[in-house]
Amino acid sequence: MKNTNGKKILYILVEKKVKPARFIEIYRKNYGDINKTLDYFYKYKSLKLEYGTDGEDHIDFNHSNNCYQKVVDFILKNAVGLLDIGENSYPDILRQIYLPPPLLFFRGNKIKKAQFSIAIVGSRKCTAYGREVAGYISRNLSRIGITVVSGLAVGIDSYAHKAALEEKGGSIGVLGCGIDIIYPPENKYLYEEILSNGSIITEFLPKTPPLKNNFPVRNRIISGLCRGVVVIEAGEKSGAIITCEMALQQNREVFAVPGNVFNSMSRGCHRLIKSGAKLVESIDDILEEFSQYSEGILKLCGNSSYNNNRQANDKQSAKLDNNELKVYEFIGYNPKSVEEIVKYSKIEVKEVLRILTSLEIKQLIKEDSFNKYSRLF
Amino acid sequence: MLFKLDSFTLIGIDAIKVSVEVHISRGLPEFIIVGLPGKAVNESRQRVRSAIINSGFDFPVKKIIVNLSPADIKKDGSYYDLPIALSILAASDQIRCGMFNESCFIGELSLDGSINPVKGLISMAEKARGMGRKFFFVPYEIANQASFISGVSIVACKSLVETVKVLTGGEKIEKFICKDKDKNISNRNNHYNFDLKDVKGQLKAKRALEIAVSGRHNIMLIGPPGSGKTMLAQRAVSIMPDLNLEECIEVTKIYSLYEKYVNHLIQERPFRNPHHTISRVGLIGGGINPRPGEISLAHRGLLFLDEFSQFPKNFIEDLRQPLENKTVIITRNNLSYSFPCNFMLIVATNPCYCGYFGDESRKCICSLREVRKFWKKISGPIIDRIDMRVTVARLKESSFIKTECGESSNQIKNRIKKCINMQNERFKGKNVSYNSEIGINIINEWLKNNKNIRDLIYTISRKYNLTARGMVSILKVSRTIADLEESENIKDCHIIEAVHYRVGSNNLDNSICI
Repeated sequence: MKNTNGKKILYILVEKKVKPARFIEIYRKNYGDINKTLDYFYKYKSLKLEYGTDGEDHIDFNHSNNCYQKVVDFILKNAVGLLDIGENSYPDILRQIYLPPPLLFFRGNKIKKAQFSIAIVGSRKCTAYGREVAGYISRNLSRIGITVVSGLAVGIDSYAHKAALEEKGGSIGVLGCGIDIIYPPENKYLYEEILSNGSIITEFLPKTPPLKNNFPVRNRIISGLCRGVVVIEAGEKSGAIITCEMALQQNREVFAVPGNVFNSMSRGCHRLIKSGAKLVESIDDILEEFSQYSEGILKLCGNSSYNNNRQANDKQSAKLDNNELKVYEFIGYNPKSVEEIVKYSKIEVKEVLRILTSLEIKQLIKEDSFNKYSRLF
Repeated sequence: MLFKLDSFTLIGIDAIKVSVEVHISRGLPEFIIVGLPGKAVNESRQRVRSAIINSGFDFPVKKIIVNLSPADIKKDGSYYDLPIALSILAASDQIRCGMFNESCFIGELSLDGSINPVKGLISMAEKARGMGRKFFFVPYEIANQASFISGVSIVACKSLVETVKVLTGGEKIEKFICKDKDKNISNRNNHYNFDLKDVKGQLKAKRALEIAVSGRHNIMLIGPPGSGKTMLAQRAVSIMPDLNLEECIEVTKIYSLYEKYVNHLIQERPFRNPHHTISRVGLIGGGINPRPGEISLAHRGLLFLDEFSQFPKNFIEDLRQPLENKTVIITRNNLSYSFPCNFMLIVATNPCYCGYFGDESRKCICSLREVRKFWKKISGPIIDRIDMRVTVARLKESSFIKTECGESSNQIKNRIKKCINMQNERFKGKNVSYNSEIGINIINEWLKNNKNIRDLIYTISRKYNLTARGMVSILKVSRTIADLEESENIKDCHIIEAVHYRVGSNNLDNSICI
């Protein structure tokens, strides 16, 4: 493991039980110089300099009561990465929040410094409408290269992650437990999927159970990582609302998607809108707010030729045969049923079914509702 | 004076020989039946006495002992009225005839001497043939049931008097022999009330049914209320090939246990659709005197479990062994009763509690957790035995009127017949008759010999998170698809189509862990 600073911080936090808040305080007093900060702790806190700066050979673990060692062993064994606050790739916007985590555990891709991310949060008990909106907004954001951050819970979170992974922006999941714990267990597949096109991060030590108190703490990282938070469906009192409060404290934009006035799951969103959150109908509403931030992002989204190019490439690379092309062309963005496809294309049912699966495998179409298909992008 | 003739009793669906022995001796007038008689058998004393007297014979005023041997098997039912009456007449020298040795008798007597129907006649006829008997005297009303059993002449008599006349030569026996068996079984025109062409749209589901019936794959229909799941399942039986004589007899055997008045050979494929409040015994079979359950009544036909998720979980678990073994063995009273249950299973279920998950126009109001909970209720091992899962969508009103009718059941049936013939050819001499019964060793061989398939299956399983069991199912179904196209080898296109019937709906992937 290369990250010696990370290990030092881990040692300070775990073994010497320095509170993260204290660590950050010293870090800020030293104007963000990580080496000075570490020196401070070693000198003034009378920590023995067990850390040789040039490698782990010099580390003497005889003094420790194994907790630190266990964590180190764990991260070595499971290819878990450490991202410390002093590192260059530690996201600047996260560093700026009131209490940034001094150390993050991560799996999957390393977080990029300049990654532009938006958080999508919402209720675990979402409605079908919520599912749809989460997928719609998340997919579109991801398509123009924005990373979608969420909390890997069931409901809105899962759908946001899932849709974001379909596109190039990818997704970051922030856990409220140790990195080795998959909570809720239903999201096992999702967890693995995210590892392939995104990252999973947490500030909690490995094997930390998903305690109730962890989640508000986690929410501050979700909002801290992002420029804005989109609330899709939220009850009156919910984690999503807490995330929004954090976001406001951290000077982030808050967006809310309106819902059915009769549905209790819309209460939270509507209250947010009433008190000034921006109403979101499509991602344009979100991007509008960030026009000053990053030209690069707007370049991407204003540029519709990107989509067309991608499709053209897809079609070519997938090498569709005649019938497949015919069916693909007929399936537009509005869902078409198997019956309609058969009627239009005059191809036999069995052939149509085969084509549909084969297009699905090639990631060109998806099943919208039962037996209705539409193009994926 | 001693007299003895042969009759039958039933154990499960099989008949065994019972000798009815009568000894008439001097002593106080008495009429006793021994040999573990049940209530109905004991009561037959009264019926026999009245019937003999009312038919114009004398009931001997002597000590009469009737023994039903083997004496250690419990006998129940009204089978022995006629044999007991005849034995008494013969033992008291009122009738004399040489035919007793080559005949067997069964029948319940009315007080006026007429013969009433009994259950399980066809199994007894088969046993009579096995014993090499020439004549089998049966109740007139249900004689046709047994008439397809060749090798034994079924003599249908209406009353005790008639029987005696036939036995003593007063009437010619030929007149009473049931001649139904001359009818050619293959020439019949099976008529089902339902035809698959009545179902509009649902092309995917229809195609899936065709494949399922061809390879005898169990199939699950998933869809919102009103999408036509029940309608499709009811019609599946109309595309199954006709039963052959042997199968007809098997089916009739089971049904004759249930109803007394089965007076013909059952030639239609059974379609059973038990309600989900059914008891365990009702589904699997059993009881004090074990009777076949719905799974046996669906033998050689279809068992349709509508609202599958509503069936108690342990009942569904009970289906596992019968699905594998094609027979169910029930042990009661020191005896094992085995009932055949070679059926095809169709189950239908909504996709969630509210029923509208995945529906286009009406939104589902269940949370994802509820949907998962719903699917958790359905037992995993049973789901594993269901090779195909097909989503059925609701048809919009507009398209309902516009859509033309599809193929008729008979057209589809012809294709299926061919496909089944192909399978029979291939599996000749093996312990398998349908693609769905293929063992893992055969599948491994396919995978070993065909790199193409291997690669494709690998891609697919990665894309859809399939388990090993899922992949095996896909291969089995693709074999059937290949058979339908009369193709020697499984091609890529067959596998890709088969995937369609396994994965069902992408929407459901999360919920049903395949």
